Amino acid sequence: MAQIIADRRDIDFVLHEQFEVEQLSEHERFQEFTKKTIDMVVTEARNLAVKEILPTREESDRQGCVFEDGKVTVPECFHRVWELYKEGEWLAMPEDPEYGGQGMPTCVALAASDYLVGANYAFMMYSGLTHGAGKLVEAFGTEQQKKMFLKKMYTGEWTGTMLLTEPEAGSDVGALTTAAVKNDDGTYSIAGSKIFISSGEHDMAENIIHPVLARIEGAPAGTKGISLFIVPKFWVNEDGSLGELNDVVCTGIEEKMGIHGNSTCSLTMGGKGGCRGLLLGEENKGMRAMFLMMNDARLLVGLQGYTCASNAYLYALNYARERVQGKNLLKMMDKDAPSVPIIQHPDVRRMLITMKAFTEGMRSLLYYAGLCEDRIKVAADADETAKWQGIADVLIPICKGYVTERAFEICSTALQVYGGYGYIKDYPLEQLLRDVRITLIYEGTNGIQAMDLLGRKLGMNKGKPVMDLLGEMQQIVAQAKQIDVLQAPAAATEKAINRLAEVGMQIGATAMSPKVLEAFSFAHPFMMVTGDVVMAWMLLWRAVLAAQKLEKGAKKKDVAFYEGQIKSIDFFAGQMLPITMGKMEAIMAMNPAAIEISEESFGG
Amino acid sequence: MLPGPGARKEKNVDIVVLLKQVPATESLIQVADDGVSIKTEELKWVINPYDEFAVEEALRIREAQGGSVTVLSVGTDKAVEAIRTALAMGADTGVLVNDPAALGKGALATARVLAAAVKQIPFDLVIAGQRAVDADQFQVGPAVAEYLRIPNVSMVIKTELLDGSIRCHRTIEGGTVVVESPLPMLFTTQRGLNEPRYASLPGIMKAKKKPLETKTLADFGLDAGALEGPTARIRALSPPAERGGGRIIEGESAAEKAAALVKALHEEAKVI
Repeated sequence: MAQIIADRRDIDFVLHEQFEVEQLSEHERFQEFTKKTIDMVVTEARNLAVKEILPTREESDRQGCVFEDGKVTVPECFHRVWELYKEGEWLAMPEDPEYGGQGMPTCVALAASDYLVGANYAFMMYSGLTHGAGKLVEAFGTEQQKKMFLKKMYTGEWTGTMLLTEPEAGSDVGALTTAAVKNDDGTYSIAGSKIFISSGEHDMAENIIHPVLARIEGAPAGTKGISLFIVPKFWVNEDGSLGELNDVVCTGIEEKMGIHGNSTCSLTMGGKGGCRGLLLGEENKGMRAMFLMMNDARLLVGLQGYTCASNAYLYALNYARERVQGKNLLKMMDKDAPSVPIIQHPDVRRMLITMKAFTEGMRSLLYYAGLCEDRIKVAADADETAKWQGIADVLIPICKGYVTERAFEICSTALQVYGGYGYIKDYPLEQLLRDVRITLIYEGTNGIQAMDLLGRKLGMNKGKPVMDLLGEMQQIVAQAKQIDVLQAPAAATEKAINRLAEVGMQIGATAMSPKVLEAFSFAHPFMMVTGDVVMAWMLLWRAVLAAQKLEKGAKKKDVAFYEGQIKSIDFFAGQMLPITMGKMEAIMAMNPAAIEISEESFGG
Repeated sequence: MLPGPGARKEKNVDIVVLLKQVPATESLIQVADDGVSIKTEELKWVINPYDEFAVEEALRIREAQGGSVTVLSVGTDKAVEAIRTALAMGADTGVLVNDPAALGKGALATARVLAAAVKQIPFDLVIAGQRAVDADQFQVGPAVAEYLRIPNVSMVIKTELLDGSIRCHRTIEGGTVVVESPLPMLFTTQRGLNEPRYASLPGIMKAKKKPLETKTLADFGLDAGALEGPTARIRALSPPAERGGGRIIEGESAAEKAAALVKALHEEAKVI
């Protein structure tokens, strides 16, 4: 049996060989995180994930959440595991120990989350939302508010949410109508209805803290008039004790395609006129607060989608090794030839190597984004901070938008490897394919991610972050050119990087011309080709290290792994990059049909 | 958590846990080329599950009574991981006997080394797994008790600490028996004793700062020659035979199939 959830050898490779994450421990802030400690963190996260969280995945999908009389019941199996998760103090790994975090590098936290989130991400959403809400309190709360809320949230005793979407304000947040009126005691009366609230109501914690976006009476229209509030399910007194039930009512939960274990709630605040909230940060600065949290939230959604792909690939790989069906193609005419495991069939191998290459490249990308966050924290000067912040900002829409698109394809491909069995509930693939689908939508649809890349990130700081990123890529190409076996993929990657720079210049310029609509109709393809080039960079980087290790004489058990790294970039450069080059030609040509076609001509 | 000086409890109990690192039960075990050992290169290693019960029970007793928990193992450098895991669960100190002369000599030699090591640690209680799931010999725990000349109770599923003694519930065929023993004593664990905790993140962070001593036989005044053995030699290892395919009973009707099944169970399988 190969591994489940995530390939430990690959995680170790990315942490210790590709990114040498232990070097962070040279800085006082991360001095505790030596290789041994990092390995133990990943081992124990895996232990909890495999033994306790993974067994809830299928059961919670079947059972789902139940709504009755304003209350939501989560799948029964979640209660015990939530207790274990809390006891282990896994919720706020990278946060300040003063407030109940562990001060861990984000890159290492991502490796632990590879297992924890990968074991059942519908369950882990209760943790993820709490972490995000806690970070809002940590970043914008007063000392008093931090004292009242933060520790309880970072330890999971209370959970958190994010109340943003309204029926008429989804991607267009500025349209929201939830209203806030200041009271004499400094609190605010909140009134409005919010939908699609993940973890909005449940029975796992004694209190739920809702950060809420609302408009203070008389504030400007649009995003400039939005403020952020803390609205607790039970009022929290200044000494931290619980007060009366606040007027926040769950009016229903959604019947969803996937992530059945997580309650997706509609909440009405102030329906009886008694909903109180505390202002978090400054008036009318709510959207700014949202933007500050966006990178973390989008990286997490990228990871959620990614873990579905990692799971799917390993299941498919196991299945392909064990499932015996059909003769080897070379022995088709021999009637006595035995049936063979389907991993011997060329088309199955095509699917497996496709999944392998993307899964590896995406793991490197996500951990790299985490590493950028860590490098910001230990940067020596403002230039260094700006460099890593810029690269992280450019990569975030790729981590969310590109990764989830590819993750969905991988889950679908893995299901294909199972044949008909993949489509039935006895096997885990159909659930993964359903669960992964939402990651392309929430936390900013992938269309929004693509617009973020083209409209904001590409031209940010006169293009310096993009140039920094391309510079990092070129360094790896230069290293690869020194290695005989990597000549072809290095050349193909270099060509793709150079072409991407040209495409970026052109689509960026077009976006600021009268042809802005045409440009944005190619935003998504542009995000996808950027992601492909990032994949090539990461896979080439891996292969450079692998080739060096093989050259020096790797241990027997590592040889296959390193050879596999060289095959991944070989495949990607030979089979994927030509498609990417073609897509880039299409972007350069910028066919205007999608914009020019009249709405009537769409038919229907 | 050790109570602070002011909160020191009356009945501090110092506990030594005997721990062995074994291949994870999820690992694929393959016979090595020599035919008498297993391939270890790609194995994942864990704390012997019965020893995990021992660590957990020791921690619970310490939490209730005060005292200390020392984890003791015989093994190679690799065993440090297992000891660190026990420290991350909450044990206070680790001791690893890492000496080539102490390895591969069989259960009694291991017990002798462990007993010699335990003698250097102040203890009221020694807790061991009933057996290690790799060699399944059931010998080390009781043998250590013999070498230490202290009472031994095996297969324990519940403990109650009394004043200067311990009451142990142990499994016997078809039931349980309750026995009491004065301290110091040794008991071995049985499934059902407790549910071992997971190492917490703060526990992991603390673990590497906890003392972990490495010792050799010379530290106990034992010389390699004194450890005879092994008393048994493995001649050959082979994986269990693969299960044959099932058999479908043929028949025209349910009654006919049932009759054929009864006949097969009676005459071929001889189970009815």
